[in-house]
Amino acid sequence: MTADTATNASDNEAKKALLRAVLRPIGAVSLGLLVVALFIGLSGYNVPQVFSSLFIGATGLQLAPFKVDPFPLAQSLAQTAPLLFTGAAIAFALRAGLFNIGAQGQMVVGAVAAAVVGIWNPTLFGPVHIALCLLAGGLGGGLLGAVAGLLKAYRHVHEVLSTIMLNYIAADAADYLVTHGLKERHSMAPQTVKIAQAAYLHPFVSGSGLNAGLLVAIAAAVGASLIVKYTSLGFRIRTVGESHDAATAAGYNVPWVLTVTMFISGFLAGLAGAVLVLGLEHRYIKDMTGEYGFDGISVALLGGASSVGVTVAALFFGGLTSGAGYMSLQTNVPDSIAIVVQAVVVLFAGARAVPWRGRRFARANTLLFTGVTGREEPPVE
Amino acid sequence: MSEMIQSLIWGTLYYATPLTLAAMGGVLSEKAGVVNIALEGFILSGAFTGVCAADITSQYGAVISGIAGVIAAIVVGALMGLLHAFLTQKTRMDHVVSGLGINLLASGATQYLYLHVYPQGLTVTGIPRWMFLLAAAILPFAVQWLLIRTHWGLKLRAVGESPEGAFMAGVSALPVRIAAVTLSGVLAALGGAYLSLADDHNFSTDVSAGKGYIALAAVIFGKWNPLGATGGALFFGFFYALQTELQIRHIEANFLGISWTNSFLLDMLPYVMTIVALASVIGRAVPPASLGKEEPAE
Repeated sequence: MTADTATNASDNEAKKALLRAVLRPIGAVSLGLLVVALFIGLSGYNVPQVFSSLFIGATGLQLAPFKVDPFPLAQSLAQTAPLLFTGAAIAFALRAGLFNIGAQGQMVVGAVAAAVVGIWNPTLFGPVHIALCLLAGGLGGGLLGAVAGLLKAYRHVHEVLSTIMLNYIAADAADYLVTHGLKERHSMAPQTVKIAQAAYLHPFVSGSGLNAGLLVAIAAAVGASLIVKYTSLGFRIRTVGESHDAATAAGYNVPWVLTVTMFISGFLAGLAGAVLVLGLEHRYIKDMTGEYGFDGISVALLGGASSVGVTVAALFFGGLTSGAGYMSLQTNVPDSIAIVVQAVVVLFAGARAVPWRGRRFARANTLLFTGVTGREEPPVE
Repeated sequence: MSEMIQSLIWGTLYYATPLTLAAMGGVLSEKAGVVNIALEGFILSGAFTGVCAADITSQYGAVISGIAGVIAAIVVGALMGLLHAFLTQKTRMDHVVSGLGINLLASGATQYLYLHVYPQGLTVTGIPRWMFLLAAAILPFAVQWLLIRTHWGLKLRAVGESPEGAFMAGVSALPVRIAAVTLSGVLAALGGAYLSLADDHNFSTDVSAGKGYIALAAVIFGKWNPLGATGGALFFGFFYALQTELQIRHIEANFLGISWTNSFLLDMLPYVMTIVALASVIGRAVPPASLGKEEPAE
C-alpha cells in the first residue's frame, strides 16, 4: 500500500474501513463463542447455564437475583494486565511488519530481571524500587527482543523463527538460574527468595491479583501507540512496516528501526513479567509466567493497531480466562474452551479476506491489517 | 559404558522418530512455499485422534485397533493440513497467523475432548515403536526421491522458489501447494500418533510439548533438505537422550561455577545451534525464495 492510495481514499471508504475495524473483531468473538456453544451443546451441557456462569465468573455480575461481587471482576482485571502488556508489545512490532512471537521469552527474562533487582536492595524508597524493578524487567525483555531485531536486521533471520528459538532459550536459562544461582537456599522449590517488601505492588481488592500493574499496563499501551502515531520514530516504524524499499529510499536506517522496534516491543513484554513478580508472587518461580506471551498474539490480532482496540481485546481475553476458571468449577465444562475461543478469534481476525468476497475486499483488508505481515503485498492494480 | 552408549543410541532414535516424521512434513510444505508453524497442531491432533480411534476399536484386538489409530491420525492430519492450505492459499491469511490459529485450535479442542470424553484417562495397547522407527528411517529417502527425481517434486520446488516462474511454465501453484501441505499434515500427525500410540500408550494434554517447533528447527537446521532435516532431528534427539541419560545416571560436570550437564542447559543447546545456523555466514540456511509470500494475483 502506498501512501498515495491511502490519501486518495474517499471519506466514504474510510468510514467503511472504520466500521469494518469495529465489526470484524465483534464478528470474530461472536463466531468463537458460537463454536464453543456448539462444542458444549453437542457434549450435552446446558449451554445457557454454562455461558451465564462464564459471564458471572468474568464480571461478578449476577442478574437474577441481582448481585455484584467485586472479586471475580478484580481477578479478570488481574488477568488483563499481563495480556495488555504482551498484546501491546506484539501490536507495536506489527506496525513495523515484525511478528514478535517472542513476547513469551521476553516476559520470562523481564520477570527474572525484575526479581533480581527486587531482591538486590531492601532499603530503597518504595516507588523508586518499584520503578527500578520495572525498568530492569523492561530492559531484560527489550534486550532479548533486540537480539531478534539484530538478527533480522543484519542477518535476515526471520523474526518468527528466531523468537521461537529465543523463547526456549529464555525459558531454559530462567529455569537454570532459578534452580542454581538464584535459587532460594534451603528450599526444595525452584524459586528465588522474596523481593523487598517495599517493591510489592499491593492488591486493590484484597486476595485478588489486581494491582497498580494494570495502570502501568494501560499507560504502557497508550505510550506505545503515542510513539507510533506522533513521533518521528513512529513514522519511521510505520514506513518500514509498509515497505523496506520506501523506507530505504527515504533515507531511514532500516536495520536500526527494526532493532529499536523489537527492543521496545520486548520492553513492553518484559514489563509484563516484572508486574507479575512485583504484584503476584513477589519472587520468580519457575513457570510462573504462564502463557501470557502467546496469548498476547491473540490480543494483538483481535485488537488491531489502536491502543483502545488492544485494551478491549485484553479485557475480553482476561475476562474469558478468569471466567472459564470459575465456569469450570461450577459446571465441570473443561476450561480449555477458552483456548478454542482464542483459536477461532485468531483464525477469523487473522484472515485478510473471505475468498467469496473477491479481490476488492482483500485490498480493503490489507489496508486494515497492514502490519500483520509487512511482507510483500499483492500488486495494487 | 557400552550399556550407556547403547541406551543413548536407542534414546536418540526414539526421540528423533516423531521429529523426523514431522520434519518431513515441514520440508514438503516449506519447499512448496508455505510456512508451517502448524506442525505442532498437526502432531497434537494426530496424537489425540490416534489414541481415540485405537480406544474405540480396542475390542477388535490390538492389530485392528493399532491400524485404526494410524488411519484416524492420517485422516485428521490430512484435514488439518487442508485447513492450513485453505487458509493460507484461499483466504490469503498470513502463514504464521494461520499456523498459530491451528495450533490453538488443536490444543483447545484436544484438551476439551480429552477431559470431556476421558475424565479418567485411557490406556491403549498401541503399536510397537519399531514400526514408526522403520517408517522414519525410510521416509527421508522417499521424500528426497520425491523432490529430486519425480515430476511432481520438480513442480513443488519450482512453486516454492518462484510461483510466477512456475506459472509461466504452465504449473499452477495452488494444487501443488494444497497437496504438499495436506501431506505435511499427514506426516506430522503420524509423528503425533507415535507419541500417543507407541511412546505413551495414552494421551496427555499438550503431549506434543513443542515438538512441532523443534521439527521446524530441524528443517531449518537441515537447510530444507530431507536428509539434512533428518540429521537435524537426530541431532536434537541426541540432546534429549543425553539429558535423560545424564539425569538417570546422576552424572554431573561442573566447571567455572556452571553445571554443564544440567538438563536445562543441554535443552537450550539445539535452539542456540539453530539460531547460529540461521545467522551464520558459512553454511547459512537459505529458505525457499517464495516461502511465506502470498500467491501472486492471477
